[in-house]
Amino acid sequence: MQAVVAENLTKIFPQGKKAVDAVSFALGQGEIFGFLGPNGAGKTTAVKLLNGMLTPTAGCCRVFGTDPAADPCGVHKLSGVVTEHAQMYEHMTGMENLLFFGAVFGVNARECRARADRLFAALELMCAKDQKLSTYSTGMRQRLSLARAMIHRPKILFLDEPTSGLDPENAQNVNDMIKRLAHEEGTTIFLCTHQLRYAQELCTAYGLIDEGALLAAGTLAELRTLVFSGLTVRLTASLPPDDIPYTALNGHEFSLTLQTEDDIPPLVKKIVERGGKIYGVSARQLTLEEIYFALLEKRGVKEAAS
Amino acid sequence: MIHSMRRAIIKKDLRALITNKRQLIPLLAVPIVVAVVVPSVFILLAHFSPQEMMEMEKLAAFLPPGEQTDGTQQVMLWLLINNIMPAFFLLIPVMVASVSAASSFVGEKEKHTLETLLYCPLPLRGVFQSKILASFTLSMLVSLCSFAAMLLVAEAELLLTLGSPVFPGINWLVTLLFVAPAISLFVITLIVRGSAKAQTADESQQRTIFLILPVMAFIITQFSGMVFASAWLLLGVGAAFALLAGICMRGVPQKISYETLLKR
Ligand SMILES: Nc1ncnc2c1ncn2[C@@H]1O[C@H](COP(=O)(O)OP(=O)(O)O)[C@@H](O)[C@H]1O
Ligand SMILES: [Mg+2]
Repeated sequence: MQAVVAENLTKIFPQGKKAVDAVSFALGQGEIFGFLGPNGAGKTTAVKLLNGMLTPTAGCCRVFGTDPAADPCGVHKLSGVVTEHAQMYEHMTGMENLLFFGAVFGVNARECRARADRLFAALELMCAKDQKLSTYSTGMRQRLSLARAMIHRPKILFLDEPTSGLDPENAQNVNDMIKRLAHEEGTTIFLCTHQLRYAQELCTAYGLIDEGALLAAGTLAELRTLVFSGLTVRLTASLPPDDIPYTALNGHEFSLTLQTEDDIPPLVKKIVERGGKIYGVSARQLTLEEIYFALLEKRGVKEAAS
Repeated sequence: MIHSMRRAIIKKDLRALITNKRQLIPLLAVPIVVAVVVPSVFILLAHFSPQEMMEMEKLAAFLPPGEQTDGTQQVMLWLLINNIMPAFFLLIPVMVASVSAASSFVGEKEKHTLETLLYCPLPLRGVFQSKILASFTLSMLVSLCSFAAMLLVAEAELLLTLGSPVFPGINWLVTLLFVAPAISLFVITLIVRGSAKAQTADESQQRTIFLILPVMAFIITQFSGMVFASAWLLLGVGAAFALLAGICMRGVPQKISYETLLKR
């Protein structure tokens, strides 16, 4: 069974704003799915649709086979959700908050306390667990929200901008935790963020959206085939290549594109045979960010043409 | 399982209500004024006012046969305790139910904790029922405690000034067990009904302030002596509020959904 399926999922708000526009995708269990797009792209709306907080205007979605519009509680049993507006109680301590939400999610008190302790330790909140939430910093709140969403061992975690407001070290912690969850417990992760670089470190599959419409979905390799799957090579040498088009950068630096890594040795060999000196070769594939902008451009061209 | 989820919500709500200073002040002030200060003032006024001012025969006619007495003060105080005070007393459940329901329903939305709660696997209806029960419980708890406090203080004062107690009659039974619960429920349902629209707890609470007007009117009728509160009249008032609460609750399950609650 797929963890999440969306078919033609559409949400038009009463005022006429089309926040999610005929989006279709599927993601498998245990995957870390990055749902990526700029602010206002419709990521949060998608999370709410997938958890039954909004009813789709058209199309449908299922989470582990359950339709959230028909059986929201069925989905809530399986899912943990972190969003900007899902906050906790200021007058209660970190531990009291987790115990309360544990109880509301049907976890028995003893098990909940043990699990909360493990989560506090993993998220480096141990020393703040008996402090009132009102004394927590933004980063601590964010991490406590993560602990709250995991208190009932959900099969799928929806994380909406989980590292916004975290410093790099804490963001790294959260990243590690997400990876560990996915690898060790097989938890499926639905991660929304506008930080594409951050997502590329973490995710196993992607959905790229803009203005509510899905630009593309798939693994990084699949997305590359949509744009350009070759390599960008940067060469520092005393001679430029003679049989491949290149762009001269400054001085002895040249940039060129190759289809695969296997094309690098012949390139180097030819330059050396012509008496050139090689000072450096680096090769890299398109980053997620580059793919995203290339896809945006493609769609723009298509729209302009039609 | 469902039971323990509901219990957790009720416990959490009750705790939040009695630990938040902003709510604690009205929750304590109104009962103290209504149940302690007001009866004390009346009892002292009755004690020091000249006897000739009262039209004794007229008043005595309102007393039940068993309570016939010839002391003007005795008559006055009997009427005070059993007719005027129950009307005053209704301010307590109105106030407590309004403060607690507004905070429990709209306050959570205002503080962005409602969304977190709505992601739980308890049906929306269950969340609402638990919250209604929490507000109702607090309203009744405060009402009953206020009644106990009033009884204690008033009887002590009566013993000191009059030398004999004046016992509460059947009107109190009806007020505590029927009118107060009915009016609490009505106030709560009114707030629940408006909870999707209201954005702040204060705004939502203000919507129920107008309910103080009929209670005030009721108090004035008691003073003017036009219609004295009989058990029957109180039963009627209670039934009216219960009916209003029922009407108010109609259509609410259709009106209130995850989407309408989280709308901004
Ligand atoms: N409840 C709502 N009513 C009307 N418009 C909304 C509502 N929620 C979101 N929107 C609009 O829908 C679009 C997508 O919003 P959102 O899903 O929050 O984007 P993201 O999470 O990707 O930043 C935005 O233009 C936003 O203004
Ligand atoms: Mg968002």
